[in-house]
Parts: sequence; C-alpha cells; structure tokens
Amino acid sequence: MTAVYQTPAAPTARVQRETVLDAVDLKKHYRLKRGLFRADATVKAVDGVSFVLQTGRTLAVVGESGCGKSTLARMVTLIDPPTSGELRFDGKDMTVGSREEARTLRRKVQMVFQNPYGSLNPRKRIGTILEEPLVINTKLSRAERRERAVEMMGKVGLRPDQYERYPHMFSGGQRQRIAIARALMLNPRVVVADEPVSALDVSIQAQVLNLMVDLQEEFDLAYLFISHDLSVVRHIADDVMVMYLGRPVEHGPKETIFAHPRHPYTRALMAATPRVNPALRQDASPPRGELPSPLNPPSGCHYHKRCPHMTDRCAVEVPPLREVDGRRVACHYAEQME
Amino acid sequence: MPLLDIRNLSVEFSTRAGKFRAVDGIDLTVDEGEVLGIVGESGSGKSVTSLAVMGLIANNGRVVADKMEFDGRDLRTLTERQRRNLTGKDVAMVFQEPMTSLNPCFTIGFQIMESLKVHEKLGRSDRRRRAIELLEKVGIPAPESRLSSFPHQLSGGMNQRVMIAMAISCNPRLLIADEPTTALDVTIQKQILDLLLDLQKERGMALILITHDMGVVAETARRVSVMYAGQVVETRSARDLFTHPQHPYTGALLDALPERALGKRRLPTIPGVVPGISDRPNGCLFNPRCRFAQDKCRREGVPLFPDESGAARCFYPLQVTGGVAA
Repeated sequence: MTAVYQTPAAPTARVQRETVLDAVDLKKHYRLKRGLFRADATVKAVDGVSFVLQTGRTLAVVGESGCGKSTLARMVTLIDPPTSGELRFDGKDMTVGSREEARTLRRKVQMVFQNPYGSLNPRKRIGTILEEPLVINTKLSRAERRERAVEMMGKVGLRPDQYERYPHMFSGGQRQRIAIARALMLNPRVVVADEPVSALDVSIQAQVLNLMVDLQEEFDLAYLFISHDLSVVRHIADDVMVMYLGRPVEHGPKETIFAHPRHPYTRALMAATPRVNPALRQDASPPRGELPSPLNPPSGCHYHKRCPHMTDRCAVEVPPLREVDGRRVACHYAEQME
Repeated sequence: MPLLDIRNLSVEFSTRAGKFRAVDGIDLTVDEGEVLGIVGESGSGKSVTSLAVMGLIANNGRVVADKMEFDGRDLRTLTERQRRNLTGKDVAMVFQEPMTSLNPCFTIGFQIMESLKVHEKLGRSDRRRRAIELLEKVGIPAPESRLSSFPHQLSGGMNQRVMIAMAISCNPRLLIADEPTTALDVTIQKQILDLLLDLQKERGMALILITHDMGVVAETARRVSVMYAGQVVETRSARDLFTHPQHPYTGALLDALPERALGKRRLPTIPGVVPGISDRPNGCLFNPRCRFAQDKCRREGVPLFPDESGAARCFYPLQVTGGVAA
C-alpha cells in the first residue's frame, strides 16, 4: 500500500496544523442474511478509505447515495466500529482500545446530523438537550452546566431566553444551530457533519455555513464534512475526497481537484451540478444508467459501466489509488484526462 | 392567448391560529410550449400555487382569483366531473417524492394504464402497448418486464421516471413539476431534467418547474418568477434575472449561493426568517430583512412594478438604487 496522502500545508496557515485523526484503510463490511437457502451476502459499504484530519481544516467527502459516506461518518464517530483498518486519534489506534479509550474518542469526535427535525428530541427543552452530554460525561453541577449551555447558545447565535423552549418552536436553521451547539458542548477536536445544510433553504444554508466557519476558527476544529453538493463543498472544504460505491476515487486539495478533476466520476459530478452562472456550466451528458447495487458491484473499476472512457482493462483490473498531478486518483487513465 | 392565465390568485387556510394566507394575490401566465420556473424558499407558497391550479387544495383552504383560465376555460366554475376530465389529461403533475406518490400496492404498469383507461378509453392490449412505449420514452430499460414491478423494486430515479411517464401518458398540454428532482442524486437529477426538457420540446408542452434550487431553474427555465411569503416578488427572463436581479430578495438569494462566493470565507446572508402566520410585517413583506428598506417600505404595500424586462415588487429596485453586487 502506498503512503497515506499527506495534505500540503495551506500557504496562509498561521498556526501549526496538527494531525488529530488518522484513518488508515478503513473498511466496513455488512453481512446480509438472504434466507435459509441462499448464502449470506456481503455489502462492502466502505472498502479501504484512508485520510488525515488536521486541526482547523475541513475534509469534505462527496458522493451520491450508497457511496458509503454516511457509513464513514458512523465509523469515525465509533457509532459503528470498522470491520478492519485503523483509526488513530492523536496517534493512538482507537479501534483496538479499551472501552475507556473508545469513550474518549466519542467525546472528542462529535457529530452533527442531516435532519435537524429528526435529531433533536421533541420532548426535551433546548437547555436539557445541550446539557445532556455534560450530565453523562462530566461532574459539573447543575448551575455550571446551565452556564456552559447558555454560553454555547450565545456562540451559535441563540438567545439565552430560548433555553426553556422546545425544538418545535424553532425553524430548521435554528435547530441546526442547536445541533451544532450540542456537538460542541464537550469541546471536541473533530466534528463530523453529515449533510448538515442539505435540508435547509439557501439563505439559511449560508448562515449555518458561516457559523461553522466561525466556530472552526474559534475552536480550531477539524471537520469531516459530508455532502453531495459540490458548490457547498467547494466553499467550505480544504481537501476533498470523492467516493463511489465504497471506494475513494479521487482525493486531494480542493483547488487541485476543482481546477482539474482527473477521475471521470468527479468530472461527471461536476458537470451534473446545476449552476446559476452560465460560464461555469459544462455541457456534458450525465453518466449513463443508475448507481449499481452495492450488493453486486461491477467488476474491476466500480465505475466502468457508466464511464465514457472505459476500456476492457477497466472491467477486469481494479485501479489502485495512486498519486497523479498533486492528488490521489483511482483511474487507469488519470493522466489522459484533459 | 396564454394557455394558463391566472390573475390575483389567493389561497387562504383556516387554522387553529387563525387565517393564514399561503398565496397572496399572484398573477401567473404560461404560454403554449413555454418553460416557466417558480423559485422560492420553503413557505413561499410555490407548492400551494400549483395545487390550487390542479384543484387539489384541502377542505380547510379557500381559493379566490379574479381569473383562473386554462385554454379559455374557467377553472373556478368547473364541476367535479369536468375537473377530473381535465386534470391528468390536459394538465398533469409530477410530485417531489417519487417513493411516496406512487401507490405501493399496485404495479407500475397498473398505475400507468389506469390513467390511459380513464382518459383515453383504450382497450386492454392498446393500454399495455402504450405503457411500454411510455416507459421506453422515459428511458426505463426492459420496459415489458418492468410493467409488473412494484415501486419498492425500483430506485428513486426510476420511480420518478415512472411518475413522468404517467404524467405524459395522455399528452398533457401543461405539465407542472413540483420539485421533481429534489430527492434525487445530482447525476440522476441531470438525467431527469434533460428528459423533462426533451419531452417538453418534442411535444410543445408547457412546463412549470417549481423548485428551491436556483441552479436548476437557471439551467432549465426561460422565464422565472421568484416567490416570497406567498407573493411573486420578481418575474423576468432567466438570463436577466440571474445577471441583473431587481428585487433585493432575489439579489440576496443569489449572493447567498456558495457558487457565487468563490474565494470568500464567509457567505453573504439574509438575516431573519421568512414571516410566518403571526409575524407578517406591514408594508413590503421583505422589509424586515432588507438592507435597503426605507420608511416607505415599512408603511405601504408594494405592487409589482413592470420594467423593461419584467416586473419587481419593490419601490427601490436594485439597478436604480445601485445596491446590487455585480
């Protein structure tokens, strides 16, 4: 296996970037029972993903449904432990550690979910929701917890008098602010955000994205930002990883990939993203066909059946992720993609 | 004569909290073979408008309009039977959620053939032949074998194709697509939008595309109406709207798109939220969130002012006050 892709430091970096989380060859395979007379099937939801998260930087994971991006989020937060691979937090592998170590990781890696209508308990007041992580993980007194919660509400743009309110009294954007505040209650170092703005309207989406940028600066957070929207990713990410059917197909600095995508799937995604500005539009036909079933993925390169550049080699040989032109890409013909 | 001509349409719902005006005096015209985009955020009344046209407003809603005509026929005075003959045939609709708008208990073949049976009075074998043709038309592979599939056996994109096949089965003259691609992945979204536009061109059908996605409208519609809190705040050609918006809301909405903020760390935002049932402001409905609001905007209701390329509901449109960020 080649070395893990190291992100070059941003030219404007004021502070030393340190690596918080180092994921090496993460895999998550699910076994699927298919009845008494058929053999169990294996779904390779995530099949060999490596990346590095650094303080103050954002890695965006992009892909369509079924590409494994949400499974990845569940692994990194240890909601669902990986089948194999290493998850090093501050250099220490958390997948083999004790329960105590797993607890540390869970405290330091927090998550914001997609749907702020489903992720907040409708029967609990905002104050209770925000204080719950403190009740479970700290020995703070009631008054101290309340003080922390109110302080955090201020940071995400909520008023202290909203402490007693219930989630249904808030709009979608405000709820997402509450969800973000909850994720930050334990001073995490990594925040995994699974499609945090895709349920929101454009004007609200901008507010929440700005908030995330501000909080990242203030707390020096590392973000794992999962999204299907390339415009949002282009705005917020430092590095981008494009996934297709559980495998990374292109991974590198945002500018490099957006300036010159080298995987046909990345190019197809970019061409399919609707643009307001006609100058940015790419007149390419969308990829043919549907996403294949992860139960029965195509041989060789997973993308070959939809790829306009496919050859016989693609149907047989799995393209390795290799360094081409400042990013890592899994295509046999990456050099020729002009 | 426009195909669909609506003047001063309002839809009011009585709720426990009082009367709520979801659509507030909008005008809408669509010509034969035209693609009209309606954009707006949630709560802007864009879906309620389309439901009012289709006659699908629930019992607690009241629809009033000065004029509501489809092809010269008054939609307000139709009997139930006449309306049933019209909807699904001349006016058809594609809904947002393909997974929930299809009936899970029937095969897709049955659901397509049902409308052919009701409207076209075709015999059994003709219906079957026609259904296969339609599925082929919308790009479903192996259509014969798909007729006996149930919705849960198909993907979201395929189900949306089935919805489109049903909608175009009786050659409608107007197709209303309400967020037809919102639940779909981008590559599939592109396929579906291309399909809708191809069908529209081929059949000279009028298409109303309702969406919250500015990019989608910009790429598909010729003319665009922007809705805010139940009103049309701006309407003009897509090209002019996206390059020279006149209404501050349109301008602010465009500025908030990440696509337009390349290289900036923070996005321009619109403060506040869309007014709800209890906090509708006086004067211009956008004034509490508008950067350019004057006393006049807070006092007086604003009519739609026509200009060279369209109309904007604003006393101080952007190009005149020079407030737009190019």
